[in-house]
Amino acid sequence: MEILDFLAHGFAVALQPQHLLLALIGCTVGTLVGALPGLGPVNGVALMIPLAFNFGLAPTAALILLVSVYYGCMYGGRISSIVLNIPGDEPAMMTTLDGYPMARAGRGGEALGLSAVASFAGATIATIGLTLFAPLLVKVAIRFGPAEYFALFMLAFATIGGVTSGSFTKSFIAACLGLLLGTVGIDPVSSVARYTFGWYELYDGIDYLVALIGLFAVSECLLFLERDQRQITAPMRLGSAVPGMWRSRNCASTIGRGSVIGFIAGVLPGAGASLGSFLSYSLEKRRWGDEGDFGRGDPRGVAAPEAGNNAAAGGALIPMLSLGIPGSGTTAILLALLLSMNITPGPLLFEQQPDMVWGLVAALFIGNVMLLVLNIPLVGLFAKVLQAPSWFLMPMVVLVAFVGIYSLNNSPFDLYMMLAFGVLGYVLRKLEIPTVPVVLGLLLGGQMEFNLRRAMSITGGDWSILWSSGISISIYVFAATLLCAGLIYALLVKRRLA
Amino acid sequence: MSDAPQVSHAALGDRIAGAVLAILALGAWWHSHTFVTGFMQPVGPGVFPRLVSLPLGVLSLYLIARPGINQRWPQKVALCRQLGLLLLLGCYAVVLEPLGFVPSTLVATVLLMRLFGAQWRQALPYGVLLGLALFALFEFALGIPLPDMPGGSG
Amino acid sequence: MPITSMTPRRLMASTLLGLGLTAGLPGQALAIAECIAPADPGGGWDFTCRSVGKLLRELDLVDGNVQVTNMPGGVGAVAFSNVAGKRADDGDLIVATSTVGMTQIAQGRYPGDADTMRWLAMLGTDVGVILVDADSPYETLDQLLEAIVADPTSVVMSGSSGAGGWDHIRALMLAKAAGLSSDGISSLRWVQFDGGGPAVTQMMGGHVDAVSTDLGEIAGFIESGDVRALAVLSQEPLPEPFDELPTAVSQGYEVTGYNWRGFYTGGEVSDEDYAAMVDTLETLYDSDEWEEVAAQNGLVPLWRGGESFNDFVRESIDDVEAISREIGVMQ
Repeated sequence: MEILDFLAHGFAVALQPQHLLLALIGCTVGTLVGALPGLGPVNGVALMIPLAFNFGLAPTAALILLVSVYYGCMYGGRISSIVLNIPGDEPAMMTTLDGYPMARAGRGGEALGLSAVASFAGATIATIGLTLFAPLLVKVAIRFGPAEYFALFMLAFATIGGVTSGSFTKSFIAACLGLLLGTVGIDPVSSVARYTFGWYELYDGIDYLVALIGLFAVSECLLFLERDQRQITAPMRLGSAVPGMWRSRNCASTIGRGSVIGFIAGVLPGAGASLGSFLSYSLEKRRWGDEGDFGRGDPRGVAAPEAGNNAAAGGALIPMLSLGIPGSGTTAILLALLLSMNITPGPLLFEQQPDMVWGLVAALFIGNVMLLVLNIPLVGLFAKVLQAPSWFLMPMVVLVAFVGIYSLNNSPFDLYMMLAFGVLGYVLRKLEIPTVPVVLGLLLGGQMEFNLRRAMSITGGDWSILWSSGISISIYVFAATLLCAGLIYALLVKRRLA
Repeated sequence: MSDAPQVSHAALGDRIAGAVLAILALGAWWHSHTFVTGFMQPVGPGVFPRLVSLPLGVLSLYLIARPGINQRWPQKVALCRQLGLLLLLGCYAVVLEPLGFVPSTLVATVLLMRLFGAQWRQALPYGVLLGLALFALFEFALGIPLPDMPGGSG
Repeated sequence: MPITSMTPRRLMASTLLGLGLTAGLPGQALAIAECIAPADPGGGWDFTCRSVGKLLRELDLVDGNVQVTNMPGGVGAVAFSNVAGKRADDGDLIVATSTVGMTQIAQGRYPGDADTMRWLAMLGTDVGVILVDADSPYETLDQLLEAIVADPTSVVMSGSSGAGGWDHIRALMLAKAAGLSSDGISSLRWVQFDGGGPAVTQMMGGHVDAVSTDLGEIAGFIESGDVRALAVLSQEPLPEPFDELPTAVSQGYEVTGYNWRGFYTGGEVSDEDYAAMVDTLETLYDSDEWEEVAAQNGLVPLWRGGESFNDFVRESIDDVEAISREIGVMQ
C-alpha cells in the first residue's frame, strides 16, 4: 500500500535522534505552557519559533518541534483543571467537573494518570482515523451544510441540561446567557454593532478566553477566600498515579466512545475540540445515568472529555489538510505554521506533498507516545505543585492568567472584563447555576447564528430548510430523545427524593 | 463548589437572579429592534438575539416562580477579603500600563500573598521572587510584550 | 484550544508569528515590524501579510522579522477600528487590505473613511472568478446566467463577502450584464461563508450552486478538478497556468472585477515613517522573488505607492460606491 510506504518513510524521518530530541523539548514545554491558565498553544508556539529558526532547523524538524508543542499544550490544559479547578484552555473545561472532585478526594494522581492515558488514546485513535479515512471523511464532512451545522449545535444545547448536577432550568438559563453574550460585538454579516453601547472595546466581541478565565479562575479565588483557613493549610494528597486495574478496564470503553465522538466533531469544520469534549462528556453521562457518579469524581467523567478533546484535535486536521479550512482555533495556528513554511494545504496536498503529510502524521504519533511517557513522571512534579502553600499558588495562578489575558490585546479593558466575569462566575456558582454552559454558549453561539442565517439565505427565508435533510432530521431526533430522556429522568429523581 | 455545600433553602437569591435575568432578556429583546437589517438579508442581526432572549426570559420567570437551591452567602469577614481581592486586581489592571509591569507586579504579588494568608515575612521575599520570576518568564521565555516602566526604552 | 476558528469572534488573537520570528524585542528601528491580516489564516489577506512578511525578511529589508497578527471580524472592520483607536501612530505596522476593504468603506461599514488611515501601496491584483461544481449542470457562463435571468431564485450563489460585498457585487454585475432586472437582482440568493475555500467546499457538498470569489484563494480546487471555472473577470486572459480559463469578456459580457492587494497604516503615522514603509514595499515589489510569488498565487503584479496610491484608493472607493448605487446595493 502506498500510504504505508509514505508512513514508513515519515517514521524513518521522525525517528532520527535529533527529531526525537526536538519532540521531547516541544512536548515538555508545551505541557508546561498549556498547564498555565490563560496561556495556550499560541504562546507555546511563539516560544519555540525563535529556537526553530535561530538554529536553522529544516522544515521537517521545525514542524516536528511545533506540532509537539501544540499537542503538549492540549495535554497540559487538563492539569490545572484537575489540580486547581481552573481549566488551562476551553476544551479542558469539562475535565474540571469530575477531575477536581477526584483531586479533592485524594485521587488527583489517578485523575492525572487516567487523563494522560485517555488523551493518548483519543489522539492515537484520531491519528489512525486520519491515516486511514481522510479522503472518505472529507466526502462526509462536506455533506454538512448550514442547516446540518445548526442541527448539530441544537444537539449540543439539548444535552446541556444534563451536564452539570444542577437543575435543568438553571443549565438552560446559563446557556441562553452565554448565547446572548456571544452576540455582543460587530455582526459580521451586516456590520451592525450589537449591544456595544458605543464601547469600542466591545466591537470585536467578548473573548471566550477572557470569559473562561474570569468565570473559572477569578471566581475560584473568590470562593477560596471564604473557605475555612485551617482546612486550606492541610495539603491535598495526590494518591497513586496508576489507576487500579478494574478502573482502567471500566474506562476503556468510555475512552473508546469519547474518542469516536470527539473525532467526528473534529472532522466537521467549525465544530472542534470544545464541542468534542462536551459531547463526549454529556453522552457518557447519559449512558450511565444513575449508575455513574458524574460531577462528584467519576473517573469516566475525566476519561470521556479528555479522549474526546484530543480526538477532536486530531480529527480537525482532516479538513485543515485536505480542504485548507481550519476547523478550530488550534488548527488555525497549525495552518498558519504550514503556510509560513510554504506548504499550502488544500485538495492537492495529499498528492503533491505526500512526504510532508505523512511526516506530519508520523510526528503526531511520536509526539503522542512522548507525551504519555513524559506525563507519568510529571504527575509527581504536579504533586509537588499541590504541596505548595496556597498563599503562593493562588497569587501565581492569578497573575499568570492576568498576563495571559493582557497579552491578547495589550488592553486593560480585557482585565476589567475578566474581573466582571469573575464576579458573575462567583454569583452563578453561589446560585448553583453552572458556568460551563455560559462558556459553551459564548463559544458556539457565533457559528450557530451564522449557520442559521446562511441556511435562511439559501432558501430566501424559508425555515423548512432546517429540517429538510436526512442528516439534520436524524440529529434532531437524537437530540429530542436525549432531551426527553433527561427530563423524565430528572422528574423521576425528584419524585424519589420527595 | 467543592466544599461540603452549605445549602440554604431560602431561595431569595434565585428570585433576585430570575428578576435580573428577566429584565436582561427584556432589554435584549427590546434593543434588538434597533439593529438595522441590511441589504438582501432574510434574517437580520436582531433575529438570533430575540430567539435567545425569549427562552431566557421564560426560564427566568420560571426561576422566580420555582426557585431552587442556593449556597450560603459569605460572612462579613470573607466578603471584605473578596472585595479586597477585586479591588487589588482592579487597581493592578489600572496601574499596569502607567507604572510598568515590574513595579506594579511586585506590589501586587506581595499584597496578594498577604490576602491569601501569608505573613509579611513570607509575603515580602516570596512576593518579590515570584514577581521577578514572572517577569523573566513572560519577557524572556514567552516573548509576551509587557508594559515598560515609564522612561524605559521602547 | 477550541472551536472558533470560523467564528467571527476573535478566534484567538492568534498572534502567529511568521516564519522566523525572534521574540519581539522592543525598541528596534524597523521600517515594518508587524502586519495585521484582518482575517483568519488561509484567506487572501492572510496570504498577503504572510508572503510579504516572509519576502521582507528574505530580502533583508527588515532586521529580524515581520510578525503576522490575525485579527478577523467584520470583513476587516475589527482590525480597522483597532488600528484607528489604539495604534494610529504606530510607525512600523502595516495592515493588509484590498478592493474588498474599499467596498466596505464605500458602503459605510467601517468605523471611519479613507481619511482615517494612510494608504501605503498596492503590490498586485487578484481577479474574480465564477465557479460551479465539477458535476454542475451549468457547463458555460451563458447557461448559468440564462438560468438566473429566467428565475433568479433558482440559483444560490455564494462567496466570502456578505450581501453587497465585493464578491457579491461582481456576481451581480454579471447578472445585470445578462439582462437581469433590478427586481430580479434583489431576489437572487446570496450566502456568505468565512472565505473562498469554505464557500467552494460547501458548493462541493451541494449546498450552494455557484461561487463568486477570487482566483488566488481557491486556485487549488481548479487545479484538482473539483470545480469548474465558468469565467474569470479580467480584461485579458490570465498568464500560465490559468491561461485556459475563459474570460467573461470573451463570452460577451463586458464585466471585469479585480481585487487589488495592498496595505494601509495608521492615520497619525509620521511622514518620515510613511515614506520609509512605501520605499520598503517598492523595493520588495521590484524584486524577482515577488514576481515569482505573485505568479504562483494567481496575482498580477501591479504597483501603485504613496500619493498616487492614496488617490487611487479614493478613486476605487468612489467607483465601488457608484456601482453599489447602480445595482441597488446602496440606496
